Amino acid sequence: MKLDYAQLLESNNLLQINGDETYWLCVTRTVQESKLFPVPAYMLMSYLNAFYRYPALLRKIEDNMSAEEVGDRARHMGAKVNAIAMWGLPCFYLLGREWMINMGLLRPQDAAEDVAYILDFWKRFELSFRRNSGHKTAFEGGHRGQIHSEAQLQVFHADLYDCEVGDSLHQAAQAFVASASQYAFLIACESRISLHNHGPYNLGDDRQMIVRDFNDIAEYDFPWLDDVAEGVPYNNLTVTMATQGVNFNIMDDWGSFESDPEFKDENIVGVGLYTSGPLSDGFLPVGMDSREELTQTFLDLNTRVKDAMSRLWQKMAGWSRDQMLDAGALTYYAIFKDMAHIAGCYDPEDWIKIDQRAERFRPLLNDEYSRDALGEICVGTGPSHQINDYMMMMHNDAPTRIYSPIPYSILVDGDYAPTVGGVEPGITYLDEKKDAYRTTEGTLSIDEYNARVRKFQPELYKAENRLFCETTVKYRYETPEADALYKLYQKHSRNLADKGAGLRRDDVEALRQKNNKG
Amino acid sequence: MTKLFVDTDKYGDESPSAVVAAFHGSLHEIVRQRFEESGADWKDFVLGDANTLITKEDFEAVDSDLVDAGHRYDWSAGISQKERPDAYKPAEGTSDADLAAFCFQHPDAPIAEPDAEGRELRGVGDNVVRYNENTTGIARYIRSTDRVLKWLTEGVPENTIAVIDDSGGTLTAPILEQFKGVICAGGTVRSHLGILTREYGIPCLMNAKVNGIMEGDTVSIESTARAKTADDYQGQTKREVTGNIWRTAKRDD
Repeated sequence: MKLDYAQLLESNNLLQINGDETYWLCVTRTVQESKLFPVPAYMLMSYLNAFYRYPALLRKIEDNMSAEEVGDRARHMGAKVNAIAMWGLPCFYLLGREWMINMGLLRPQDAAEDVAYILDFWKRFELSFRRNSGHKTAFEGGHRGQIHSEAQLQVFHADLYDCEVGDSLHQAAQAFVASASQYAFLIACESRISLHNHGPYNLGDDRQMIVRDFNDIAEYDFPWLDDVAEGVPYNNLTVTMATQGVNFNIMDDWGSFESDPEFKDENIVGVGLYTSGPLSDGFLPVGMDSREELTQTFLDLNTRVKDAMSRLWQKMAGWSRDQMLDAGALTYYAIFKDMAHIAGCYDPEDWIKIDQRAERFRPLLNDEYSRDALGEICVGTGPSHQINDYMMMMHNDAPTRIYSPIPYSILVDGDYAPTVGGVEPGITYLDEKKDAYRTTEGTLSIDEYNARVRKFQPELYKAENRLFCETTVKYRYETPEADALYKLYQKHSRNLADKGAGLRRDDVEALRQKNNKG
Repeated sequence: MTKLFVDTDKYGDESPSAVVAAFHGSLHEIVRQRFEESGADWKDFVLGDANTLITKEDFEAVDSDLVDAGHRYDWSAGISQKERPDAYKPAEGTSDADLAAFCFQHPDAPIAEPDAEGRELRGVGDNVVRYNENTTGIARYIRSTDRVLKWLTEGVPENTIAVIDDSGGTLTAPILEQFKGVICAGGTVRSHLGILTREYGIPCLMNAKVNGIMEGDTVSIESTARAKTADDYQGQTKREVTGNIWRTAKRDD
């Protein structure tokens, strides 16, 4: 990647944006610890693995599909290519870099080409993924995550089933969401990487809709779910949830929310359920043909998830520390590995192994050092974070910054090492991954899965559809092209099939009410 | 002596953590030595020879030097202390026998004599969700997988208010929904345990500063208190938002 002044200015700006948000996210939650998992230790290991491997893996993805096309595709699925995954992409890499600077193992100018490339990839993905709101991050959008187009939102809206506290659907949905959230934390070894929310979307009449994703819940990429999760029939599930009487005033880059007043189960007034993945052309309804079927589906999934959670917990409780550290580190490090699935180039050797260069550091990672070192790099109290005394950091007014910028002086002296190079052999203390991946087309081997993805040509990504954006719709909604696009989204919709592009939100609500009553 | 870039840092002070400062001091010395031995320019060394010249054994030496000097690490994950008991501080409050005498003793926990209703203030915490009523139950500590496994098999005793110092959601994952309430000595309302208790509708105070609550005491948590927000944590609202934790009866010994 060519490094010139303009490029470095942009790289350092992107780096600062991610650093400011990382600080805010960390101080409003504190560094996580767990009695079960050595969380700070595995987080640090993941950052090193990210530092050594992300540059080569992103280049491999772009050999198959550009960052911006991956972003467009990711918008149409509830997979692990979302706000938190894409916050993690630069963050984990840059925290690894910052930690190495503090250890004396790296200067801010070393790996400069990798840093610039990673930030450029991130920018192009985010601009594409979030093109409907026009932001790069949830932070930039006032802590909102409004990802979807009107066509998609109308389908989610139209097919919501009404529910209220005490009715069977409400109870079943709420129980599933609670169990699935807890299961997701366990799958992700205490991290929130397997669950994600976006929105809110305004439904009118003091109602908002949030979209809640549960990812990697079946036998898929993580070896610890082999056999344990064989009874979970979907790898990604998306719950659409209409709420009343609450305003979601924060939906952050970790996909978690705050509301005013605080959100309770009594605020849930409508639900829907979908699955999706790299082989689905958009979202596929799950158990949505009738209210009774949806209730039963939530109950059935709740039973399956709780069974898998109990089995997984007992498996994990018997792990060695090295196994726990690997599982957590790989969960973190592989936060955006679904991009490789979307691009059809996923290789478990790339994503489910600790690179030998990172593995060297394992003896450092006791609980106390890891806790303190992690705290320093996440909130900027280590030596590398300190800047001149006149400066005042966003959020805390201290003379600090989370990530060291690339020094501009390299444009004069050329004194930098450009890149870490390619992926080196990796190791793991975990069981080898079984060659079985639960997809929307059934359980496949990885070779078959990659082959099908590379062959798959989703209708939504044909140029005439992909580029028929919200602004085009605004002025050309009466055209056959707009109608055809909306009908693609509506293909599986209970209430909107074949309705086309002419409806507004209130029309959709009227249709929904009529059909729910009918 | 070979100088590293970190040796001429105009603004950076030593790490505020003693363990981090010790580890990084040792690492800097190793890097100096290996860099000097390589005879290469830094830009050729840093992402090249350094990968093989700085070894896992070097990192092991950094760790063993501190342990051999008598330092014992704080532990957070039970497995860390269990696998290297000689390198970590002793585990307390992790067995039934320990719990007869164990309790959290936060130095900043507010304590007061019993009020007119017989409620003895033993601490405060950040309320996750505001409910219509306060929540009363029996305090039971959970600090080990052994206890979770036992209750996973036998069921959680009725009326349990779990007292936990783990703001995560995994330790108690298979039994959390059976708790009547939660007092968590760590995290914030947005930590994983906060998120999960909200989903389950279980009253919960996070970031709790408590002192003297014993296993088996009857406690009441102020789940009617105002919920704490991100703005509160950043100090933007300039208000102190906490819920009280009272002991209403001591356990029968």
